[in-house]
Amino acid sequence: MSVSFGGDEGGVNLTNFVCTSHHTADIISTVEFNHSGELLATGDKGGRVVIFQQETENKSQPQCRSEYNVYSTFQSHEPEFDYLKSLEIEEKINKIRWLPQKNAAQFLLSTNDKTIKLWKISERDKRPEGYNLKEEDGRYRDASTITTLRVPVFRPMDLMVEASPRRVFANAHTYHINSISVNSDNETYLSADDLRINLWHLEITDRSFNIVDIKPANMEELTEVITAAEFHPHQCNTFVYSSSKGTIRLCDMRASALCDKHSKLFEEPEDPSNRSFFSEIISSISDVKFSHNGRYMMTRDYLSVKIWDLNMENRPVETYQVHEYLRSKLCSLYENDCIFDKFECCWNGNDSVVMTGSYNNFFRMLDRTQRRDVTLEASRESCKPRQVLKPRRVCAGGKRKKDEISVDSLDFNKKILHTAWHPQENIIAVATTNNLYIFQEKVN
Amino acid sequence: MDVEAKRIMALSISKLYSLRTQRGGLRLHRSLLLSMTMRAARDIYHTVQLLKDTEEEQVVPCAPDAATEEPMETDSPQTLIQTSKEVAMKPHEPKETLDEDKENRYASERQSRKRRGKTALEPDFLPLKKARMDTDEEKQHLQSEVLRTNNGNSCRQAETLTAFANRAIVAC
Repeated sequence: MSVSFGGDEGGVNLTNFVCTSHHTADIISTVEFNHSGELLATGDKGGRVVIFQQETENKSQPQCRSEYNVYSTFQSHEPEFDYLKSLEIEEKINKIRWLPQKNAAQFLLSTNDKTIKLWKISERDKRPEGYNLKEEDGRYRDASTITTLRVPVFRPMDLMVEASPRRVFANAHTYHINSISVNSDNETYLSADDLRINLWHLEITDRSFNIVDIKPANMEELTEVITAAEFHPHQCNTFVYSSSKGTIRLCDMRASALCDKHSKLFEEPEDPSNRSFFSEIISSISDVKFSHNGRYMMTRDYLSVKIWDLNMENRPVETYQVHEYLRSKLCSLYENDCIFDKFECCWNGNDSVVMTGSYNNFFRMLDRTQRRDVTLEASRESCKPRQVLKPRRVCAGGKRKKDEISVDSLDFNKKILHTAWHPQENIIAVATTNNLYIFQEKVN
Repeated sequence: MDVEAKRIMALSISKLYSLRTQRGGLRLHRSLLLSMTMRAARDIYHTVQLLKDTEEEQVVPCAPDAATEEPMETDSPQTLIQTSKEVAMKPHEPKETLDEDKENRYASERQSRKRRGKTALEPDFLPLKKARMDTDEEKQHLQSEVLRTNNGNSCRQAETLTAFANRAIVAC
């Protein structure tokens, strides 16, 4: 059975695909393609960043099979200790965001709970040789043996990829950073924690501007926190932030210095028939992403994905159920803490398909134009050569059909929280706990 | 149903306690969600407990007064459901325009002010480390609040509350 949707233009056909998987040393905590899609960065719980590079077999043929291989690995963040509060600061990388490429080097921002760092990744494939005072291995030559003078020249060497920290943006967040987003002006970026959003200039590390502050005067009156924030892809004055109450606020930085008053508030009235003890938790938004064209935004809460038109605040234009069969299991999911899992979501290059993860190493692709959806599994079986990706089905209750999986046999430890889609091609990166799967549509 | 509420309450409190020892510091978002769930469960639990107590007290007077209770029947379930909704649907409090009498509105506002933040967790039924002088006082205060929101003492309210609570705890 073939899985094909999206039409001829930008359609996604995941039969006859190529899959590679990379085993990681630690739990993957973020995945992000750069703007060209040539590089794919992952961050993990141990504070490491691993960058993969796309290598095409035959560069002259664009549709040819390409592989992502390890390009650079570096330790971005280390565990720290806040002595004043007696708290350990985790080194886990919460988010990575690439800067658009300006010169030969690549830049990315990576953040843990408290500190954001700007990393420069550059290649070195030449080195100077022929020094007068030093041997090639670095030892100094005896001055008496030097009888001639020569000019050192650059000679090719094995490619070396170096990562160096260029900026460290620290001490600006009291609470845990959940988002960073680079502005379309390429000069500023925002960082958001539970209660505040700060605006930084990429060149300036010793100060930032606070643009949103929802901390109440009395913390006992706290009712909601900021869960995600993102800049508009084209309008450098616009950003959105989502809350734990399921609302999204759009702010315009031209309106005032402190954007506590939103320009737009996106909120859907709750369905009273779905009311339960856990309604609060499952309505909390875990991710918000603008579409590439800037006209829509997508939000992910525990059970669904919603697409919002920026011009309509009172309800989303599309709602997709990710795993509705979990609604009757919320109590058990509360017990095992799975109800707090923060799933991310992503758009494909032309905004026709959205993708998000689920449990049992399942991930979902939702085609907006053709109104079709599919559930796929990222597993060793998917990576066998010539293996067709088989759509999966979960049986909510009653009689289980052949090839269906019952809700009770789902493995809730195998969760896909982080997925990413190549900005131009139909290549997706799916992170399970310890493996990074890269699926690519193969066109014959 | 109150067994479920009590279980969720106990579960929430133990999760809140374990948050304190977790690496990386107190997670504000998680502790907010846990305390909201705990409070919702606690409120349902206390309301049910109180109704059980009042029900036991008024089994006898109910029967002869069936005729006179008719007018109350139409009012009280509505107010009870509305006020119970306030209890469970805390985030929507500012939006719900309360049409019922001022007493109920005042009571619900009092309840929302009374709700404590995560920093001042005082679990009611876990063993307390320090002696508290005002425990009984607090319990009476809470009970009297619930009495006010129930707007009376009709035994029919127990049924409507159960119906609402069954809807509320669909997930369980």
